[in-house]
Amino acid sequence: MFERFTDKARRAVVAAREDARSRRDDMIRTEHLLMGLFDAPEALAATLLGGYGVDRTVVDAEIERMRRADRPGTDAEKLAILGIDLDEVRRQADEAFGPGALDRTRAARERGGRPRGRHIPFHRASKKALELSLREALRCKHNHIGTEHILLGLLHTETGAAQHILTAHGVTLDGVRAAVADLGRGAASG
Amino acid sequence: MVDAMTDATKVAAAASSRDPAVGLAAVASLRGLLESLEELQVANARSQGWSWQQIAQVLQVSRQAVHKKYRRFGF
Repeated sequence: MFERFTDKARRAVVAAREDARSRRDDMIRTEHLLMGLFDAPEALAATLLGGYGVDRTVVDAEIERMRRADRPGTDAEKLAILGIDLDEVRRQADEAFGPGALDRTRAARERGGRPRGRHIPFHRASKKALELSLREALRCKHNHIGTEHILLGLLHTETGAAQHILTAHGVTLDGVRAAVADLGRGAASG
Repeated sequence: MVDAMTDATKVAAAASSRDPAVGLAAVASLRGLLESLEELQVANARSQGWSWQQIAQVLQVSRQAVHKKYRRFGF
């Protein structure tokens, strides 16, 4: 699938994997692909996004915001919602079974220590976005896939969080397609 | 003090439980806590010489269920 990718596009995909890893995510999601586009700052996608005021910092803040909404907090905070004081439960368990008894249970260790394998697979939506980047390249009659085509792939509605972030900042499929077409009349792709 | 805390918790519960994402995540945490507590109690019972049958009876589950779940733990 990556044969036609430019060096910068490949770099973006590698950076997406690193971004997923650094956020301790178990999959490469569309938002990681979006972050990856900024890893080649001189590449077309980052330049195009800059025109919309979307840079690495903006996307990073959006991802962090989404995460906080997804994960409302620690176990202690979530249990408090149910009226359970985890600190008190922990204190009682310590008293009966020794310090750290609750956290030393196999059940607790299996929950906390998600194994961090080397391989992080692409999320379904990310695969779709990369497939669509090929389709976008063909549509532009380009025989390579650059970061701008990945960006177009991410802009399709079915590709998830990245599309959501981009739309919120006024980046549209038609807008970027037009910009790419304009650039295509002169500049080299990247 | 205790009453005030309980009230605050109730308010938090009432305010938050309508959001499924919050409520479901809380239940998932509770399930995790339940697993840890059950494991502590089963381990303790075994170390005091309780049979799987006795443990199962008090836990109100089948002997097979509790044995199957904890056998691998080596209690």
